[in-house]
Amino acid sequence: VNARVATTFARLPGIDAERAEALALRAVRRGTVVMTPGDPDFPIADDVPHAPAVLFLEGQRPEVLRAPRVAVVGTRAASVHGLTDAWELGAFLGAAGITVVSGLAIGVDGAAHHGAIQAAEAAEQRGEPSPAGPVGVVATGLDVVYPRRHRALFERVRRFGVLLGEQPFGVTPERGRFPVRNRIIAALADVVVVIEATLKGGSRITAERALDYGRPVLAMPGSRRNPAAAGCNALLADGAQPLLDPSDVLVALGITPGARRLWSTGPAATKRSPASTAAQSVLKALAGETAHPDQLASRTGLDPGQVALAVEELVALGCATRDRGFVWAT
Amino acid sequence: MLACVRSAMLFGVEGLIVDVEVHVSTGLPSYTFVGLPDAAVREARDRVRAALLSSGLSWPQRRVTVNLAPSGVRKSGPGLDLPFALGLMTASEELPAGVLDGVGVLGELGLDGSLRSIPGVLVMVDALRRSGAAAVLVPADNAAEAALVGGIRILPARSLAEARDALKGEGDWAPVHAMPSEPADGDGPTGDDSGPDLAIVRGLAGARRALEVAAAGGHHLLMVGRPGAGKTLLARCLPSILPPLESEEALEVTKIHSAAGQAICGRLVRDRPFRAPHHTASAAALVGGGSGRPSLGEVSLAHHGILFMDELAEFAPTVLDALRQPLEDRVVRISRQAASVTFPANFLLIAASNPCPCGLGPPDCHCSEANRARYRRRLSAPLVDRFDLRVALGPAAPGAPTGAASSLVKERVAEAMSRQRARYRGRRWRQNARVPAGALGRAIPLTPDADQALRDVAERRGWSGRGMAGVHRVARTLADLDGCADVTPQHIVLAAGLREEVL
Repeated sequence: VNARVATTFARLPGIDAERAEALALRAVRRGTVVMTPGDPDFPIADDVPHAPAVLFLEGQRPEVLRAPRVAVVGTRAASVHGLTDAWELGAFLGAAGITVVSGLAIGVDGAAHHGAIQAAEAAEQRGEPSPAGPVGVVATGLDVVYPRRHRALFERVRRFGVLLGEQPFGVTPERGRFPVRNRIIAALADVVVVIEATLKGGSRITAERALDYGRPVLAMPGSRRNPAAAGCNALLADGAQPLLDPSDVLVALGITPGARRLWSTGPAATKRSPASTAAQSVLKALAGETAHPDQLASRTGLDPGQVALAVEELVALGCATRDRGFVWAT
Repeated sequence: MLACVRSAMLFGVEGLIVDVEVHVSTGLPSYTFVGLPDAAVREARDRVRAALLSSGLSWPQRRVTVNLAPSGVRKSGPGLDLPFALGLMTASEELPAGVLDGVGVLGELGLDGSLRSIPGVLVMVDALRRSGAAAVLVPADNAAEAALVGGIRILPARSLAEARDALKGEGDWAPVHAMPSEPADGDGPTGDDSGPDLAIVRGLAGARRALEVAAAGGHHLLMVGRPGAGKTLLARCLPSILPPLESEEALEVTKIHSAAGQAICGRLVRDRPFRAPHHTASAAALVGGGSGRPSLGEVSLAHHGILFMDELAEFAPTVLDALRQPLEDRVVRISRQAASVTFPANFLLIAASNPCPCGLGPPDCHCSEANRARYRRRLSAPLVDRFDLRVALGPAAPGAPTGAASSLVKERVAEAMSRQRARYRGRRWRQNARVPAGALGRAIPLTPDADQALRDVAERRGWSGRGMAGVHRVARTLADLDGCADVTPQHIVLAAGLREEVL
């Protein structure tokens, strides 16, 4: 095994025989799986152009790669709504037995992973382990944790799914490596979903690669006032399919013939409506958007104290959340 | 022969009695100064000699020994010139023995024999009075300030010659200057300019409410908002809604300002101090300190008043951390090799900050999470935790109506304050924000409903004990503003709403 792995390493650019030997030894010690195109388990199809020459895999559940795979990507500077949607979509897909592929970044990526992990963990606790789980694709060596704030997330992804990357051990994060990594995410996925993206972000690159590879791209529409939605709206204008409901992903995968419209009939619709008239009018004034309590007070004509109580009621009911002093409809 | 003149020097914000002993004896002309004088005091010899000669007196051509007692403390400040000169005159029998019995003496001498005013007269005269002096000789310019003490006769003099004549009974003391009832424009902390009026503030209903609560209960307030949202304007409105200092507080504040050498125009400071240090301030400037004799910092100058820190995140982290101890203890303890002093620092902290590097804040902010986290880290969590009131200012609303005028708000604040004073009679604290955590349950009892509401809200938000205690206190202030005898569950919810995670 060792010799085979060392040959694989030696084929990588800039690695001599001695270093390949050391890397191979390390891979064996860490239990890293080294895969090359043509291996029966190599997760990327042969017809994908610019496919990585080698993929390294670490994690306790390599079988998640056999489930249908959906990439959920987006901006690091996501809004509260974007983070919630990414999490809900990750959890929905996980519960539906679909593997969630993402890039382990702050923001949408992290939220999608967390959702998928939550679904996998819940399934395990029920005693019927899910065939699906999170797949984190890194732009560095598998021994590097970046961003460091996601150290715990990295561990959870290893536990419930796998980490994948094409760089040998010790390769550090560099600006140019992330767009290159994004082609792997696109290549791994059967469908790519963009939750929130800025106009120039890396998610656009993932979406473009997905189009190159002939993968369906879904984008979630957002308000023109939300800078984190501009990239998605541009994708929609370019012909991406709108994601209006998590089950749209199942339709795109060809798993279910018709949409079930979960977000319009699901949790949102079953939310309890507020009891007090003040909370009702504040919810109406919020109009599904974001507002400062002062704005809500002037829209409803209530005094600031009444608005504060109404917001508390809405938050307790799950109709709204708070972020840095602002109120967000959920 | 020997003469002993009683005087005083500044030690922190207290006066310390210093006895100036002068011994003149036969022997070769010489001069010895003992008793730990600092450089300024040591230089007194040359000033006193010139002043004596200018006043038509002579320096004794004999052996002169001067001692400053107590000898263990380093003596500083210029106020010991005059006691030294008068002691010398008594010892060389220029002045009759006994005229300085029971008289404290303070003042700096000019080379022409004139008497110059010195800082800290108020606290030094007070110390002399407590030490049993019946009268105190001060520079005429300090007479009005000295007269604030009361219970001690003030003997003002303009020059050394005038003091000598008056002491001998050959002349009169200078009159105590009647201070103008209105100080000149813009000088001194006693001006009637208490900042802008709340009546000019448009919108910002939530933040106005928070400001009122901060004023009424003494809760520290952190305002976060985009540039131009009105944070600074609101903070500057705060003096206009605070009732004036009570007489006991006024005396304390006046003493501090006197000790810091600030012009107090011979009147008690009645308006609450408003200090707004720039964000480049050093830790020593903020909390006091410096080498040798520790000097007063902004937190002490803001005693019983307001410390406004604009652009809080721009202050150096070490400076902000130095603030934590005075925030907790309400005094600053400074220890240096030469001395260890305690300065009062019971201030209301009002801070303002941008929400993130781009300054826009939600919902338009496009800072990356990493940049925001870096910005957030500039303010340590323990510091932010000490703000019981944290509000985010909403977007500008040019068409919004203006709110109540300061005079109206001030009435509500004064009423809430008097409720607190009545409730805390006989306690060490007077304001809700000052109730120690250990005494909260007894000092501010909660109904079972309100207690349950507090537990619920703490659980929902995952709060520590400090968070719960803060909401407990703020809820009591809200009830006081409403004139309620009991804290209701609604007050708890509203108090929690004033403690947002704003950064």
